[in-house]
Amino acid sequence: MEPQELITVARRGARADVPKRPRIGVVKFASCDGCQLTLLDLEDELLAVAERVDLIEFAEATSRRSMGPFDVLFVEGSISTEEQVEEIARLRAVSHRLITIGACATAGGIQAIRNWFDLDEVRDTVYPEPTFVESLAQARPVSDFVAVDGELRGCPISPAQLREFLVALVTGRRAQLPDEAVCLECKRQGVVCVAVAGGIPCLGPVTRTGCGAICPAYGRGCYGCFGPRESANTASLASWFSDSRSAPEVSRLFSGFTAWSAPFRTTIDAHGGPPGQLVEPTEPEDA
Amino acid sequence: MVTEPAYFLPRAQLGRLFEALRADGRRVVGPTLADRAVIYDELEGPAELPTGWETDTAPGTYRLRETGSDRSFDYVLPVTSWKRYTHPAVVPLARARRDGAKVDIEAIVAEPPSLAFVGVRACEIAALTIQERAMRAGPLGDADHAARRDAALIVAMECAAATSTCFCTSMGTGPEVEGGADLIASELDAGFVLRSGSPAGSDLLATLDLRLAEPVEVQGAAAQVAAVRARIGNPVAAEGLPQRLRAALDSPRWEEIAERCLACANCTLVCPTCFCTSVAVASDLDGLDSTTERHWDSCFSLGFGRVAGDANFRPKVKDRYRQWLTHKFSTWFDQFGSTGCVGCGRCVAWCPVGIDVREELGAIAPITAPAGPIPWPPAPAEGHAPAALSVVAPARHVTAVVERLTPETTDTVTLHVATSDEALLAARPGQFVMVELPAFATPAISISRIRQDGLDLTIRSAGAATAAIGALAPGAEVALRGPLGRGWPVESAIGRDVVIVAGGVGLAPLRPVIEAVMAERARFGAVRLYLGARTPGDRLFVAEMNALAGRADLEVAEIVDRAGPEWLGRVGIVTHLFDQARWSGDRVSAFVCGPERMMQATAAALADRGVDPAATWVTLERNMACGVGTCGHCQLGPFFVCRDGPVFSIAELGTAFGREGL
Ligand SMILES: Cc1cc2nc3c(=O)[nH]c(=O)nc-3n(C[C@H](O)[C@H](O)[C@H](O)COP(=O)(O)OP(=O)(O)OC[C@H]3O[C@@H](n4cnc5c(N)ncnc54)[C@H](O)[C@@H]3O)c2cc1C
Ligand code: SF4
Ligand code: SF4
Ligand code: SF4
Ligand code: FES
Repeated sequence: MEPQELITVARRGARADVPKRPRIGVVKFASCDGCQLTLLDLEDELLAVAERVDLIEFAEATSRRSMGPFDVLFVEGSISTEEQVEEIARLRAVSHRLITIGACATAGGIQAIRNWFDLDEVRDTVYPEPTFVESLAQARPVSDFVAVDGELRGCPISPAQLREFLVALVTGRRAQLPDEAVCLECKRQGVVCVAVAGGIPCLGPVTRTGCGAICPAYGRGCYGCFGPRESANTASLASWFSDSRSAPEVSRLFSGFTAWSAPFRTTIDAHGGPPGQLVEPTEPEDA
Repeated sequence: MVTEPAYFLPRAQLGRLFEALRADGRRVVGPTLADRAVIYDELEGPAELPTGWETDTAPGTYRLRETGSDRSFDYVLPVTSWKRYTHPAVVPLARARRDGAKVDIEAIVAEPPSLAFVGVRACEIAALTIQERAMRAGPLGDADHAARRDAALIVAMECAAATSTCFCTSMGTGPEVEGGADLIASELDAGFVLRSGSPAGSDLLATLDLRLAEPVEVQGAAAQVAAVRARIGNPVAAEGLPQRLRAALDSPRWEEIAERCLACANCTLVCPTCFCTSVAVASDLDGLDSTTERHWDSCFSLGFGRVAGDANFRPKVKDRYRQWLTHKFSTWFDQFGSTGCVGCGRCVAWCPVGIDVREELGAIAPITAPAGPIPWPPAPAEGHAPAALSVVAPARHVTAVVERLTPETTDTVTLHVATSDEALLAARPGQFVMVELPAFATPAISISRIRQDGLDLTIRSAGAATAAIGALAPGAEVALRGPLGRGWPVESAIGRDVVIVAGGVGLAPLRPVIEAVMAERARFGAVRLYLGARTPGDRLFVAEMNALAGRADLEVAEIVDRAGPEWLGRVGIVTHLFDQARWSGDRVSAFVCGPERMMQATAAALADRGVDPAATWVTLERNMACGVGTCGHCQLGPFFVCRDGPVFSIAELGTAFGREGL
């Protein structure tokens, strides 16, 4: 399913679908809170938003807890324990619209890199007393467990997109969350292509826009925080990278925050899996 | 050939040219180094030029190389094209406000900046002219683009170097500058040979008060550009290319290239002639105050061809690559009478996976290609100019009051809109309007009745905007832009039999045809009306259709896809209604509207009965943003559906009609 197609909240019959003052919740699973905090970044507008929605659960800002039901529930974080599997199923049942936010919830996040490795080994390396860690074999996106009605991508999500989503929700219009490549944003801003002019590997052509092309604007390649765009042709891009890079280097390029998303994952697998150990970053040719 | 006298500006005095250009408050834009490339940007003076740098390009790569020379214009093309200044990446369009029932839309008109473009190459001059033609096409041009282009002064610089991606020679656009500039310069080691290309250029030369160029300097400049021509050679067989490409719409190569192409849109955004845009809306939290802006977009984006219900006219990458290549090298000729490619090679260099249009053209439309069937009729000399355009340029909005609403079906209402706007009231059957409500996207809606004091619009709730418009209360205002497009040629049916076939909400744009025919019933032969709907509950204008069915001077037949227990009529697809009919098609003019599949089936069934394809008219739906032929969204092969249609005859469309992915 096309993720953008999932943004159904502001679609057909929107007004009838979402009540005048929608009941909203924000919950999190395995993640860093960065995405939830984006809500607080709305600063001036946060109060105005708060007047128009009924925020019945938001651990980050209020101590209120709710069992739902929710008109719209924002979910942050990947699912990585048995308890979380049960909890997300319960939340789905009490949520009219469930919207995943951030790379962890939409694609598994950086922690999904461990999905390629043996859990016990990872646990032993990371935790001093591994017996306390109850974990599933893999950290997976929410959509692997329950139906998802919409996504806000990014690591963290973009305040502008969150605002757009909320405005669309309360005005009943269609949220404009383009699923096109980061490249269009570079070109509109006049950012010189780091790949073509600098030989720097960049995931922009296969990554969904939304970040404002921050990395290329600072002369770096895109790391793919927003995950694969529509028609992401990762095979072709990887094959172009392969002309001057080894397979582990190519797989490392795709092994970022959204490595577990299908197009990136297949490309990583096709190049021998994620790097077992860190490969030195590829320096631009002319650096 | 330029015959103006040539003058000489010593290198050390280049600053004087900048000063002269700036004298009347102009700002100078020209080449400079930034982020590992040459770009165009505002310049303070000659010190910012990329002096001593050259560029090497190849498919997918661009590199700067330092030469240490004194020359400033030895680089080839920057990534930026001048469209950044004539057709900016983002242009604010309008501010819309809603206050109770009132709607107010105010166009944002920016004063065009007064700029001098320094270092414009021959291919770029061609690109400016070509893009300008596209944006000003017909009487409905783009005012912002025109104003910016008119306000710019052009200082051309003939090429002294070429790179492996250049092919202006093949496209006939360079490297020699033969006009289109105010001042034409060539750079020699010691300075610049300058010629005037316009009265403004002559004034500049007079201010500079230069000595005449020596013959050896003039010859040096000529030899330099001649060497560039020789270096480039003739990499693309452009002769007959539009026809060869047209015949190659089904080439297996489109699939192959789609495996490499990322559909990342870089090629179109760096292309100096690509003009496509989309519109974004930003609003406050109550949807009462909104602004619209248009930004660069591309036929490579999936969203570009998306319509209601998330259907898409170009879902596959191969469709999008085909649109790009055929538009640049073939259908541009149909639309604007020239090539859409000037051979600058930007798309080749800036493609992140090095796809080379020259190579693709050679593979898809080789010079040896046998001439295939032509998918659509050749364009008339002027391009596919719409036959009956409305006389006004409807760039402005007219606010109109929704007097009342008539529910038609569970998801469809008719808005009865009052207006005294002459242009709107002069609408013809089949024309449409763009309907704008602050904060929402602007859908295209056909006019379903032309009254003396207003219009009827019949709207199916297909998404957010149509739902919001359909939910307006009586007395509320909406903004209308139109009438747009070419209507049904009802006059052409005078003296002939009329067959009208409607599917679902497709009856809405046909109702004005029915009314026009019935108003002068005696001037037409037999009149037959075939109506299809998904279910009995989806039938439109039921009372009116029943009334027509009671008349003796026309035949009305109805059918539904799925019936309920209360339906006693026929069940099936609309063409079943005339499967068994005994009329012959040779005197028939047919008017058909409904989903595209239904129209294809109907057109085929009508052709089987002998109805002339040139007298079979359909109205097409495409994604539309502008409605006036400047956003590029609605293209179908050589046609802009908004401007050349939406009504077309089957003969005009040829095999473009119903062709997948076009
Ligand atoms: C010439 C023409 C005449 C039409 N006449 C009628 C009519 O009389 N009655 C009627 O009910 N419908 C008509 N339509 C279809 C109508 O325009 C779409 O249903 C409408 O644009 C859907 O917009 P939305 O915002 O409600 O849908 P959403 O699905 O929420 O949004 C669709 C998005 O795609 C964009 N878009 C651009 N063009 C289209 C398109 N053609 N269809 C869908 N989305 C589009 C919109 O701007 C919007 O952003 C006509 C279309 C065309 C091209
Ligand atoms: S041809 Fe190249 S630049 Fe153009 S869309 Fe395809 S990959 Fe991108
Ligand atoms: S199609 Fe390519 S070569 Fe032709 S004008 Fe556009 S960018 Fe330049
Ligand atoms: S439709 Fe034509 S003008 Fe528009 S982006 Fe595509 S190739 Fe360029
Ligand atoms: S060109 Fe914009 S809608 Fe046709």
